[in-house]
Amino acid sequence: MVIQICIGSACHLKGARPVIQRVNELLKKNGLDDSVKLEGSFCMGECSDKVKVKVDDEIFEVLPEEVDQFFETTVLGRLKGTAQ
Amino acid sequence: MKRNFVTDINKIKYEVNTEVARLAYEGKLEEKANEIPYKIIPGRKPRYRCCVYREREIIRERVDLASGRISPNSKSPNNIVQVIEAACQGCPINRFTVTNNCQMCLAKRCLGACNFGAIKFEDGHAVIDHTKCKECGKCAEACPYNAIADSERPCKRSCPVNAITMDEDDIVEIDESKCIHCGQCVVNCPFGALSDRSFIVDVINMIKNGEEVYAMVAPASSAVFGPDVTTGKLRAALKDLGFKDMYEVSLGADFVSKHEGEEFLEHYEKGEKMTTSCCSAFVTLIRKHFPEDVKNISSTVTPMTATGRIVKAMHPNAICVFIGPCIAKKSEVIDSVTLGGADYALTYFELLSMFDAKNIDPEDYEDEMQQGSKFGMNYCIAGGVAGAVLESIKESGKAPDVKVRRCSGTEECKKALTLLKVGKLPEDLVEGMACVGGCICGPGMLEKSRTFMKDRMKQLAATDDRGVNENVVQYDDLHVDMVREDVE
Repeated sequence: MVIQICIGSACHLKGARPVIQRVNELLKKNGLDDSVKLEGSFCMGECSDKVKVKVDDEIFEVLPEEVDQFFETTVLGRLKGTAQ
Repeated sequence: MKRNFVTDINKIKYEVNTEVARLAYEGKLEEKANEIPYKIIPGRKPRYRCCVYREREIIRERVDLASGRISPNSKSPNNIVQVIEAACQGCPINRFTVTNNCQMCLAKRCLGACNFGAIKFEDGHAVIDHTKCKECGKCAEACPYNAIADSERPCKRSCPVNAITMDEDDIVEIDESKCIHCGQCVVNCPFGALSDRSFIVDVINMIKNGEEVYAMVAPASSAVFGPDVTTGKLRAALKDLGFKDMYEVSLGADFVSKHEGEEFLEHYEKGEKMTTSCCSAFVTLIRKHFPEDVKNISSTVTPMTATGRIVKAMHPNAICVFIGPCIAKKSEVIDSVTLGGADYALTYFELLSMFDAKNIDPEDYEDEMQQGSKFGMNYCIAGGVAGAVLESIKESGKAPDVKVRRCSGTEECKKALTLLKVGKLPEDLVEGMACVGGCICGPGMLEKSRTFMKDRMKQLAATDDRGVNENVVQYDDLHVDMVREDVE
């Protein structure tokens, strides 16, 4: 799995840095930092009021305070889905 | 400052970047971006292509790249280097052709040299049967009259990792699983069909939003913006551009030299070999093409990340912008978001456009500074990185008999990495630089004047002779870590 977090100026101002930090912490906590690639991304376009996060090829919108929930449903949820 | 460009491609790229920067500073980019093609290509008579409509389409694609966007049609959406489809000429793909230099000689060495039966003769002239030709080039080597021309597409020829292919319409494609972002295709395509995405607009938006944006200028910076433009002058000019302050990446380079020196000695004592890690394209080359050698990459961060960490240790809210001669540093920014280093990377070429958009000329400023040692400042020259690492080891009072392999350019890097992979590399330390000659020959440099090296040396001669280690020790209180692990 590849997680790309937009580092364009609009997303940066909406908290891309804390989103990256928290996703990285959660990956480590779940022992996923070797199997999931976390990287930045140029502006994904269609800037909104949240940070754009791409998981594999699907784009999501996340605020720093929503990262834990997002990680649980989208990242862990998808990994469990592929494991079955 | 007079602007000189090696080619019209660079001139057009500069004009687009400058217009984009100007509109971004005015806050009118979204509203007026579609006017840029008409401003740069006025009238109805084409200058370079079949028609102004194609020329304007190329400008429009360049405006997208300058704004950090890519074509919705892009086949390598995660790559820094992108194809400008309208600019690709779809050059002829038959690599070898017999020219009329063929003397119809008796020896016919071309015939003997070809192992594939691809040489035939028509009216005494050699002709290549392209259905049989395997493009080995033996015929061209064998001809005593140099009558066989190698017309391999310049993009493909310039790529050291075979990441360039053609689609069914002969338009260039980049295989992003192979690309190391060295920028050679960008420099070498004679039609300007490859170019790099830019963070210019992001950086300007951050500045306009009142963020604490810090510039971090690469060791190659001395004399780039004019014979007398020192890093001091550059710092004053960057502050007028809206940056809060500027730091020299040669300072981070000193940290890297010290850490990499200590790390190297540990490996050396165990009989293990190590490569440097400062050049992003070199490190990507190892990761993508020599995975067996990954264990040998130094675990020390790059001077860019090191400097970013130093700046953020002093100013926790800093947005750090690396500015240098390199395209690969943009991919390093993308790949290293968890390392707490640089937030954005620009080339000198892009900075020039920002200066001109605001009518700022660094020549007009006065300021003096020195943060890095001379050794850190020489990181941008082939041989300079290993030299600085060895200097740090020497300063620490140790004198091991180290054999160093200095690789200037990706081809030399590949040779060393191949030997390392099979356990036949005689040297202990490998310095890898993807650009021949080092970063000062990078794809993001400005056109160098004939006196550039002399001007640079003159500026470096005026700096003090501080050692690498004594320079680093001054910052001990900051406790900046140099290991390439995530910052917690």
